[in-house]
Amino acid sequence: MILAVADMAFPAGWIPPYNTLVVAAGVASVGFAAGVVGCFAVLRRRALAGDAAAHATLLGVGLAFLLGGGRRDLPLLLGGALSTAIAALLALVLIGRWTRTRDDAATAIVLGVSFGAGITLLSGISARGIPGSAGLEQFLLGHTAGLTAADAMILGALSLLTVALVALFLKESTLVAFDPLFAAASGWPVTLIDYALVVLVAVMVVVGLPAAGAVLVTALVVIPPVTARQWTDSVGVMLPLAGLFGLVAALSGVAVSSAVPRMPTGPLVVIAASILLTISLLIAPRRGGLARWLRARRTVAAWAEGRLLEVALRLEVQGPFTREQLLAKAPGAAADSAFKRLVRSAAIEPVVTRAGTHAWRLAVWGRELAAERSRRLAAWTEVLEAAREDARGHLTIDVPSPEAILGAARMKAIRESAAAARSASGPA
Amino acid sequence: MMEFDSTHLWMHFWAIATAATVSAGCALVGSFLVVRRLSLLGDAISHAVLPGIVLAVLAGGRPGGAGVFLGAVVAALVTVWLTNLLGTHAGLAEDAGAGVAFTTLFAIGVVLVSALASRVDIDPGCVLYGILELVPFDTVPIFGLEVPRALLAAATVLVVLVVAAALCWKELVFTAFDPAAARAAGLPVGLVSAGLLVATSLATVASFEAVGAILVVAMLAVPAAAAELLVRRFHRMLVVAVALGVAGSIVGYLAAWRFNTNAAGMIAVVLGIEYLLAALLAPGDGIVARVVSRESLRWRVACEDRLASLWRAEEGDAAALAPRTLLDRLAQARLVFGGRIVPGAAGGLTDIGREEARVIVRSHRLWEAWLGRHVALPLDHLHPPAEWIEHHLGAEVRGRIAADLEGDEGDPHGRDIPPEGFPSRPADAPTQ
Repeated sequence: MILAVADMAFPAGWIPPYNTLVVAAGVASVGFAAGVVGCFAVLRRRALAGDAAAHATLLGVGLAFLLGGGRRDLPLLLGGALSTAIAALLALVLIGRWTRTRDDAATAIVLGVSFGAGITLLSGISARGIPGSAGLEQFLLGHTAGLTAADAMILGALSLLTVALVALFLKESTLVAFDPLFAAASGWPVTLIDYALVVLVAVMVVVGLPAAGAVLVTALVVIPPVTARQWTDSVGVMLPLAGLFGLVAALSGVAVSSAVPRMPTGPLVVIAASILLTISLLIAPRRGGLARWLRARRTVAAWAEGRLLEVALRLEVQGPFTREQLLAKAPGAAADSAFKRLVRSAAIEPVVTRAGTHAWRLAVWGRELAAERSRRLAAWTEVLEAAREDARGHLTIDVPSPEAILGAARMKAIRESAAAARSASGPA
Repeated sequence: MMEFDSTHLWMHFWAIATAATVSAGCALVGSFLVVRRLSLLGDAISHAVLPGIVLAVLAGGRPGGAGVFLGAVVAALVTVWLTNLLGTHAGLAEDAGAGVAFTTLFAIGVVLVSALASRVDIDPGCVLYGILELVPFDTVPIFGLEVPRALLAAATVLVVLVVAAALCWKELVFTAFDPAAARAAGLPVGLVSAGLLVATSLATVASFEAVGAILVVAMLAVPAAAAELLVRRFHRMLVVAVALGVAGSIVGYLAAWRFNTNAAGMIAVVLGIEYLLAALLAPGDGIVARVVSRESLRWRVACEDRLASLWRAEEGDAAALAPRTLLDRLAQARLVFGGRIVPGAAGGLTDIGREEARVIVRSHRLWEAWLGRHVALPLDHLHPPAEWIEHHLGAEVRGRIAADLEGDEGDPHGRDIPPEGFPSRPADAPTQ
């Protein structure tokens, strides 16, 4: 995909200038680090706190611009952004500790008010026509075109530093992310590690600011880890994988925005990340939609095969049977293909009769399968019968009716299938 | 950006009226969101309506028209559906799911706006922070009066919201505070939640043009959260939230006018200041009230400890501790000033001081005696709880404990329990 994007952005035979290459490398490492750090934000459910911090960065950019006397010096602006981002996180903690306001409202308050303050400040600056202020709104939605090679190197170095920190404290962060109570009981400074992780997320949000912008930089921290989570259950794999997804998303966004005039980078990065996520949601092994669909289909198929075998065992008492007889007794969408599979696996074999009509009977192997299935069925029936006695013993007036738990529609379906089973097995 | 120009007062009036109407609607819906812990629904929806609006405009709808409203509401519903889908099918935590869904939709919206800039008259910046100042220039005639279209839309939505809230008041409140009980009572909880979702979308879309995507979040959550700190009853919270929202809009607009900056941003800042003031000054459990009550307790304890220590010194079995900490010194000064301690280096108790000190020591020793008799703590464990509770026992409790001890005159350490004393404070004593 990245190759396709690059083809689109750079015509064949065109060698990108040094600056473009360095900016691309810087943004790539930003994307990588954001993915890695974001894993803990997602696992610790701090995604929205990161969003609040991200929206607060705009205020810091404006303040740093004013304090720096109108210089557009990237480290200075990012320093300002980091200080307001951390102030926003602090405000979240203080609101939680000192007021009755709950987490969600606190996040909304910090996010909305700090963003409003940032907009007020930036509008005020631009209304007064302070020289050099023209590019400040690039921090809103991100725009990498204005980055110099030196800027990109700083961003890259910061990113690699955060990744190194995460790698260094991998054991502690993982423990706190998955089992904070156990970590606390084992004597780890959980609160400290938690705060350190949140600050690391704030740093990452700030570093990602030039690439993705204040409004959307959270996506760079949230979406790649979520994508990586689809592919693996292990943190050791999830971290580099999230980094890789972040890298690809960031590079794609930068490439497209440099090819299309006046297109902000942030939204493109987010869309690239979302495309990766959508693909992962569809094709990831085990958790992906495709894998689950196949699994469901296999279950249905196995069930239909078993049902056919059961019916065949009953029919065979009267000698060979036709396909139509069998399917009439075991209807269902999957029955037809289940029949084909049983024939192909030689569980059912053809019988040549004088009339030349096609008749079938169970092969030895098929009979064994069917017998095993009915044995299991009988065993399960025993278990459920025992459970019924158990239920009678436990049933008091406090036990809710099954309709309340399963829902009326599901209950009706159960009743109908039970009635159908009774009438089907009754005469036999 | 605005200049102070009295010929345009009407323009400012319309802009303020629009901001106030939008804010009232948001505060109304926001109150329900805040008590249901759904404040961030506004965040998600306000980001996600952008592609809906852009597509509706592209399909020929006019900004502020009914078609655009519809597009935005549909986009809002799609976000919530997507978030739920990510939650149920991909097993995402709710915050991550919302983060994925709304940033993606918003990003698609921004890309659409940028790509179709020539065909769609929407500025990516105004999508984020609105153009309240330009609202008065797009008007429709109502009874011969040129009313801004945005105001008309916001007012319509406000009326719809108020009527809906009034009609479904009981259901809304029941569902908000106890969804499980509401479901058990047979209320259509899912339907009420869906209704709230549509109401949030309506309020968001009506506000969108005036204040932009992100400041809607502030208008939804901040006045409601501030009102929740100020009052305890929900119907009062609604009224206070709406009042705070309207006041914040007016003050914010005027401040933006004065300082020549973005009005929507300034409104959010003023709302934030309102919340800060509410958090600080809320009666009962505001930060200031809690600090005052905690510090006054600390202060009273320091004074009483000082008195008791002097009383024990007079009793003769210990030397009075000299005040060491700053708080002790201040307490000493205050007791001297209040006529409880004789001024000067020797500094014994006055008669009033002795009366008060005796009551404290009596509380202390009664509690030690009671604990010693009924709880069988070791002797060296009796002092700390007594040291704490001596400041809180009233005359009635002291009487009951004394009756329980049945004239047992001493405490477990073998010291006398001083009598209650009557009157405990002479009539001519100076009040504190």
